[in-house]
Amino acid sequence: MKDRVLIANRGEIAIRIMRACKELGLDYVIVYTDADQDSQHVHLAMEDQDGRKRAWRVASYTDPNDILAVADHTGCTAIHPGYGFFSEDYRFARRVTIRDRPLTFIGPNWEVIKSLGDKINTKRVANRLGIPTIPGTDGPIYNEMEAEEVATQLLDNQQQQKIKNPSILVKAAAGGGGMGIEEVFRIEQLRRVYRQVQNYAKRQFGDGGVLIEQCLRDYNHLEVQLVCSRHGERLHFGTRNCTIQSTGRQKRLEAAPGFDVSCFTYDFDAPKVLRQIVDYSLKLADHVNYDNVGTWEWIVARNGTPYLLEVNTRIQVENDVSARISYLHNKQPNLLREQIRLALGDTMGYDQKSIDFRGSSIELRLVAEDTNRGFAPWIGTISQFSFPQEDWAAVYTHVPFDRAYTIPSEYDPNLALVLVWGDDMTMAKNRARQFLDGTVIEGHNNHGEAIMTNIPYLRGNLERLLTF
Amino acid sequence: MHDDIDFDQILNQYRSDPFEYIDVRTSHTGLLQFRAKEEDVVEGVTGEWQHIKGTLLFELERERNIKPVHSSVIGVVSSIERSLEGKFVEAGETVMTIRHPLKKREIIERILKNVLSIFPAPERAKYFFAMDIQSRIDKHGQRSISIKPNDEILTMSLMKRDTPVSYQGAPGIIHSVYFEPGQTIDQGQPLLGICSEDTLPLIQKIIARVKAEWD
Repeated sequence: MKDRVLIANRGEIAIRIMRACKELGLDYVIVYTDADQDSQHVHLAMEDQDGRKRAWRVASYTDPNDILAVADHTGCTAIHPGYGFFSEDYRFARRVTIRDRPLTFIGPNWEVIKSLGDKINTKRVANRLGIPTIPGTDGPIYNEMEAEEVATQLLDNQQQQKIKNPSILVKAAAGGGGMGIEEVFRIEQLRRVYRQVQNYAKRQFGDGGVLIEQCLRDYNHLEVQLVCSRHGERLHFGTRNCTIQSTGRQKRLEAAPGFDVSCFTYDFDAPKVLRQIVDYSLKLADHVNYDNVGTWEWIVARNGTPYLLEVNTRIQVENDVSARISYLHNKQPNLLREQIRLALGDTMGYDQKSIDFRGSSIELRLVAEDTNRGFAPWIGTISQFSFPQEDWAAVYTHVPFDRAYTIPSEYDPNLALVLVWGDDMTMAKNRARQFLDGTVIEGHNNHGEAIMTNIPYLRGNLERLLTF
Repeated sequence: MHDDIDFDQILNQYRSDPFEYIDVRTSHTGLLQFRAKEEDVVEGVTGEWQHIKGTLLFELERERNIKPVHSSVIGVVSSIERSLEGKFVEAGETVMTIRHPLKKREIIERILKNVLSIFPAPERAKYFFAMDIQSRIDKHGQRSISIKPNDEILTMSLMKRDTPVSYQGAPGIIHSVYFEPGQTIDQGQPLLGICSEDTLPLIQKIIARVKAEWD
């Protein structure tokens, strides 16, 4: 039976998945919420009915019962979670695949998601394999004496390495999203902070376990894009650099490859470090039998030392930055298409040598926000939305071009992803500037004030790409 | 300032059509089976702790789990979307309408909406009382809460951010609350009805008049 994919996501990624399904000759169904009824992902699916209803309104994108009910009713055989929402929820992946009417979860198998979704476990496995991780504990500490011992050692090591203002981070082991993290500069501060974080962790997460890590400040945030099949094949699609982020640690500008000597004089052999992180990523992927797309996130210090940060067991927003510098049979691949095909059981059909890396690419995330006011989201209605048409650029958006669109206040005010590429990073940057100059976004909020976007911020930060 | 209110006209309006027509929507997807029919009299939620469910209106089945949906108000089923019987329905689908006879208290609230100072939603968002206000409401009830301009009274939650909302308007007490915490409210819709000192006599007059004249 031909597969039919339920797209359990919204916005631009839903549209990209929709297109990938069509290109693969697969049928699809989308879900949407009331707040999203004007989104282009809903309109496209509504227009594409041909006798079948392809758009179903659900209570929420995070209601698994609704999503599975629609999947069953519409005869879907697979679910694509996109990014966010259920994409890294192993319980959802498990529920999709282990039920009376099992479906294919388009992502890694649930056991891999569970194993790598646990940051402490990932760190422990990585350490066992000799993969560098951020210096510190790889398991929760419940004992103040032990905490002090680890902290002393971490502070001493930094002093020996002549790191300015050495410090450590004390984190709630069960925490996440930047909550329950305190910085300690002197060992005398540790006991007080340890108790504070421990109490917080007990109160918030019901577990007083604490992690202690070296605090890294001067670094670049890199990613390695892996694509793997259910048949033990594991390839990489290069590296990308995601260092430029908002104050809330949300990425705004990404570039591939991860380092480029034309942008900065690195204190290390950049190509060698990139090779290293790719090799380490593949080593860990092999060890856990990774079987779909995934991103290995790395921190690279100014001296070139890489540390594995975490593994994102899903397709990422920025996957296309890597695809735009990777050529398969002289064509840029579509990693979403690859992800779906491989999750449905296909073999890769090519090997690492078939992937030719050339040129540079940049992703610009266009967001309605006030970058001068802590990246505060802008709410209102977009009346004009147009982009230059270039054969060296692609735009992914759920904002319609032919009608006014009110940004729903239920979700982030992301407007579009713009990908530009060129023969080298200088060309890619110039094209990015040219593209931004030709972009028109107009709109007003309820008070009649003009739309605020991050275009000036993106333009202003292009030169910072791939630098320390 | 509201002395020109024509009570006779307002009360006649409610006398001629003393009902509210409430659309009942599906809370989620599922196979629909009606359990009530047109002209059925339905009961709302009752009991000291609102623990007694209303009349069963319909059931939604998802993955062999049946969810009964009960009436939240008293009234009569005035119409049913019979075409949806046995069908798989989407979330938010209107499946029936209940004609709900307005109570004295509800009529008073509706009339007061024209008299109280309305504090509207600044943006389409979810709203919650500020922690301090909420704890005072829990302890003493909303009508004991006095607010004045620039008091932080609400938290507006939108786009994953919480923003404090300060009150702007005449000082007064929180007489009426028009939102459920966590429910999305459209921009401009009323959140609170504030009773200032100078409106108090008028409000008392309205309450007394409706109580006296409404059967």
